[in-house]
Amino acid sequence: MAIEIPKNLDGLPTSQRRFVGRRVRRREDPALLTGRTEFLDDIKLPRMLHCAVLRSPFPRARIESLDVTAAEALPGVEAVVTGEDARRWSHPAASSPDGWGGHCLAGDDVRFVGEPVAAVAAQSRAAAEDALEAIEIEYEPLDPIVDPFEAMKPESPLVDEAKGTNKMLDRVFTWGDVDAAFDAAPHVFRESFRWNRVGANPTETFGAICEWDPMSLELTVRGSIQSASHFGLGRAAVFGLPSNKVNVIATPHGGSFGGRGGTRCTDVACLLSRKAEGRPVKWIEDRMEYLTAGGSQAWDRHYEVELAVDADAKVTGLRVKLVDDLGANGEPYGAICAAKPLAAFTGPYAIPVAAYDLKLVATNKLPSSPYRGMGPPPHFFVLEQMMDIAARSLAIDPAEFRRKNFIPKDAFPYTIPSGNEYDSGDYEQVLDRALELADYAGLRRQQVEARAAGRLFGVGVASAIEPGVFDWNAYAIVGLPGTGVPEGATVNIDILGMISVRVGFAMEGQGQYTLVSQLAADYFGCELEAVRVVPMDTQSAPPSFGPGGSRLGVAITGAVLGACEKIRGKMTRVVAGLMQTEPENIVFRDGKFGIPGVEGASMSVAEVAGTMLARSDLLPPDIDPRPEATHVWTAAGRTEPDAQGRAKSYLTAAQSVHVVAVEIDPETGQTEILRYAVVDDCGTRLNPVVVQGQLEGSVAQGIGAALYEEYVYDDDAQPLTTTYMDYLIPTVNEIPELLRDEVVTPSPFTPLGAKGCGEGAIHTTPAAVLCAINDALAPLGARAREVPATPNRVWNWIQEAGDGNQTPQGEGSNG
Amino acid sequence: MSPTRIPVRLRVNGRPAEGLAEPRTSLVDFLRDELDLTGTHVGCEHGVCGLCTVRVDGVAVRGCLMLAVQADGAEILTVEGLASPDGKLHPLQEAFAEEHGLQCGFCTPGFLMALHELIDDEPNPSEEQIRDVLGGQLCRCTGYAGILRAVQSAFAKLGASPSTESGA
Amino acid sequence: MKPAPFEYEAPSSVEEALRLLADPAIETSLLAGGQSLVPALNMRLARPERLVDLGRIEGLDAIRDENGALCIGAMATKRSIERSALVAQKQPLLHEATGHIAHPQIRNRGTLGGSMAHADPAAEYPAVAVALDAEFRVIGPSGERRIAAADFFVTYLTTALAEDEILLEVTFPERPAGEGVGFAEICRRHGDFAMAGAAATARLEAGRYQDARIVLFGVDATPVRALSQEERLRGEVPSEALHAEVAAAIGAGLEEPPGDQHASPEFRRQLARTVSKRALEAAVARAAKA
Repeated sequence: MAIEIPKNLDGLPTSQRRFVGRRVRRREDPALLTGRTEFLDDIKLPRMLHCAVLRSPFPRARIESLDVTAAEALPGVEAVVTGEDARRWSHPAASSPDGWGGHCLAGDDVRFVGEPVAAVAAQSRAAAEDALEAIEIEYEPLDPIVDPFEAMKPESPLVDEAKGTNKMLDRVFTWGDVDAAFDAAPHVFRESFRWNRVGANPTETFGAICEWDPMSLELTVRGSIQSASHFGLGRAAVFGLPSNKVNVIATPHGGSFGGRGGTRCTDVACLLSRKAEGRPVKWIEDRMEYLTAGGSQAWDRHYEVELAVDADAKVTGLRVKLVDDLGANGEPYGAICAAKPLAAFTGPYAIPVAAYDLKLVATNKLPSSPYRGMGPPPHFFVLEQMMDIAARSLAIDPAEFRRKNFIPKDAFPYTIPSGNEYDSGDYEQVLDRALELADYAGLRRQQVEARAAGRLFGVGVASAIEPGVFDWNAYAIVGLPGTGVPEGATVNIDILGMISVRVGFAMEGQGQYTLVSQLAADYFGCELEAVRVVPMDTQSAPPSFGPGGSRLGVAITGAVLGACEKIRGKMTRVVAGLMQTEPENIVFRDGKFGIPGVEGASMSVAEVAGTMLARSDLLPPDIDPRPEATHVWTAAGRTEPDAQGRAKSYLTAAQSVHVVAVEIDPETGQTEILRYAVVDDCGTRLNPVVVQGQLEGSVAQGIGAALYEEYVYDDDAQPLTTTYMDYLIPTVNEIPELLRDEVVTPSPFTPLGAKGCGEGAIHTTPAAVLCAINDALAPLGARAREVPATPNRVWNWIQEAGDGNQTPQGEGSNG
Repeated sequence: MSPTRIPVRLRVNGRPAEGLAEPRTSLVDFLRDELDLTGTHVGCEHGVCGLCTVRVDGVAVRGCLMLAVQADGAEILTVEGLASPDGKLHPLQEAFAEEHGLQCGFCTPGFLMALHELIDDEPNPSEEQIRDVLGGQLCRCTGYAGILRAVQSAFAKLGASPSTESGA
Repeated sequence: MKPAPFEYEAPSSVEEALRLLADPAIETSLLAGGQSLVPALNMRLARPERLVDLGRIEGLDAIRDENGALCIGAMATKRSIERSALVAQKQPLLHEATGHIAHPQIRNRGTLGGSMAHADPAAEYPAVAVALDAEFRVIGPSGERRIAAADFFVTYLTTALAEDEILLEVTFPERPAGEGVGFAEICRRHGDFAMAGAAATARLEAGRYQDARIVLFGVDATPVRALSQEERLRGEVPSEALHAEVAAAIGAGLEEPPGDQHASPEFRRQLARTVSKRALEAAVARAAKA
């Protein structure tokens, strides 16, 4: 049946929207606030065992011998597994790029510190860790491959001998006549940048409880998993099981941000369960394991960037060369972060041509994982610094330089050189609002005074695109096949008119269960509390990907409203039959079906549902009698990527402008953020408080990435950042108060005009903070080209500039 | 030889409780595994993140840095003891709900218990005192803005008369 | 991470604790507040066979005035020290330093004795003890002895305490009238371990330094007392230029500042200069102008 999902808030069948787009209390909160929500580690199953993993202390070594007999014999130990079990009972994992995945336990060699080598299932975690110490293992350490540039040399030893190279990917993408643009440009700016590893760090580490049923050969996995269906298919592939024999139950999780990881050790726990004759095995990753060996590290990048600018200060070309150190394998899909920039390669600017020279390199470090924003945060960091380098060199105010180059508001939908299409936007309005909110003119006056007094005061203006509603085709260049990311919801109305919505994803923090309730309640004209959201396991759920790529708000809205529309259609036919008229004469509004103008011809949703369920004898013969419907929403118009990776991928393009003022203490290199203003446009804001929360959270993560968070390896590929004493998550005291405002340019393509916004400000914040730092350092001729801009680095840059050690601003002359 | 387990007798949320613990068992693991009070969470086990914060004999402590056996005879308050038995939320919990002070909620019990102590200690805490306490608790979702709003709202509601009772 | 197994004893007297410590057959560590020891146990970096918990021994946490000197029991928590009016009045440097330690949630359990005995190079209390000429009262199988702060901190995580000794109390001698105290530390985040810090005292007479004390922490294996610069200051008029000179000399005098993820040796040297200057300036600002 053809249905039409409302394209804006007015399309909802209600005279007074009480919930969608308004401030409501979250349904999830009472259980969370009272400690009642059941997270993975809260679950105790009968006969459950606990897992501990023995991990390689070397980044690269051969395993000479491995003897687990002493560990197996310890009281309380029920099973021990090694690489032999993994090869007997499982296949190598999938990866991106393809072919860079391995078994969950090492075989003859280890390739990164922390790589699982063996594992124990015992009565308690403590006992399992004790048993690890009884495992006898001998390694022959080898020289580790640490530096990606060295790794690319033909004479370099190989991370994976079978691959014959350390280059996982080496391609140049050219979109338009880039050479011509650069040849013709009167100004060409060149700079190199370094972005160090940072990562998700949800407060809950990864965990899974795995049960292998030896009788039915079925696998049940409970876990704090972001995308349950995807995870389940992955386990089925690894264990050679039919897809309907793997059931994944995703538990509410303590944040995710893309970096939950966990596939290897889930598979280890599955092997243990199999070896323990089907007893459930619980695997909880502790924080040290997360930091050194989990889904914790992303974006290990070396950039060389060129910007071509014409005589009218218009940017005419962008070249980005990226060497991305992905670590020892592609299993965590960190490579997709190198592909996502295609969705917004040229940012909010009308840059006509661009090129991407992309090298993904294997080294003996932890395999790189996704992290919120995927690739764009570092990509926009470099693009925005280049915009500032150009503006500074041409003596143009950086805000005005951006304004000149923005995609104009009448140009949407706008296709960028790398192929994606931006749906809508009014970038100038966002810029104007941000400059006003920040009192930009006042900040510049303050800067003049501060500089006269010799203080390092800087102002940064940055703008980025925050792509929303991802599709797999965005990652085609790193080997991910296919197009289409469906999200389904089943709406059911019971005999008393109470509504249940069955979904396929677990709670993660973005308030999606509240959103589902808001939609259903406003649609059917009932109270929020009359809606129950029911998460289903993967064998029962409608098609679902769950959260990711800033998609779920839009996708679940489409799914829920689509299902509601289907029910409305059915009920309209029922009511028409009961009122002996044609369906076209029935109107549904404010929870009631009726014939306009006919007194008494009105039925509530509850009455219709009750009739359908109790009096099937009264229904039209060909109708599906249940007041229930499933709708699966998939973004329309996504295209197959061409040979240069161009495709319509991410459906929506939110945009923001951040204005940041900082002062740097030249004695200590410490950066203080004095003012932080952000104006964002993510289309219709379905739950404004939730959107604000996502913004505030992503700004904090962006500040963490810009100034505090870093995974450091020594020259022997040993991780040095092993605890929260060294990986510095910002606390309340590191985050400034935000000045905030919003612009609303609805999307023409999505349900209710909303745009994906979950990843939010992390796209823009590191760029904005570094722009401000560079502005502060400019009078000294010092430049910040590395992230995080720690006090030590900032102080070094100041010293280098003082010594005259920094080469002049990166402009090449071009005739 | 199975590990020696020592009886630990204490009071939790106003009621007597007891269980067995190895000497090495942390207080938070004891609360979660032995007493089935899983509202308190574990985030790092090195004392930095604050998720495991509970009140022991009135003071807020890291549950991961105390041994269960050290809590023998102590009076413990956990997040499960904040709301009243009939489900009425403590003003702190109310404020967090009202001001969107939580997203995934995993860090929230730790914040609530640390703030619960602050309310009892300092009816009118200074900004510095609030930030000193909050600075010892990590949140990855909210960016702290909602938490600060919740704290301001809670203290405003509680005024100059701090609540010294838990809901239990 | 869960600790390796250990036995646990909670004696109710010092004598009993000493007896347990002295037993050569079983490797024993003392447990005070646990804020430093338990993370090490959790990571299996510390693996004693037995823990002896001092927490059930009465009377080890007193804060008292003894003829003007301030005596603080080893088991006094940082919380009790922070809130003590006696400490604030008689030992303002100790009071100020305490507020910089971690967060209230840690200070609630962490003890004075635990910090001193653990002797982390980046900790505040050892430097404060050296700056204030504290004296450590220690008990062992052969009785009590007193150790001066200058002799107490031997090297990285090592004190003059013998393996069979227990720290009972730290005595802070009465401060001279008119003294100003200063404290400065540079951390990545508020409450983190300092990359470098300094504790200073200053007494002025007729607008000139009569006496000064500067002790740095986080820049070497133990607190570093800048003796030669303290000498240099005597008789001088406090000024920005003087302090900058002294700070530069202190920095230059550091043998080999440690390097780690947060600060290279050279950067630490710079921070040492900065905290020296700031601590001195604060001390001078508070000193009575005679």
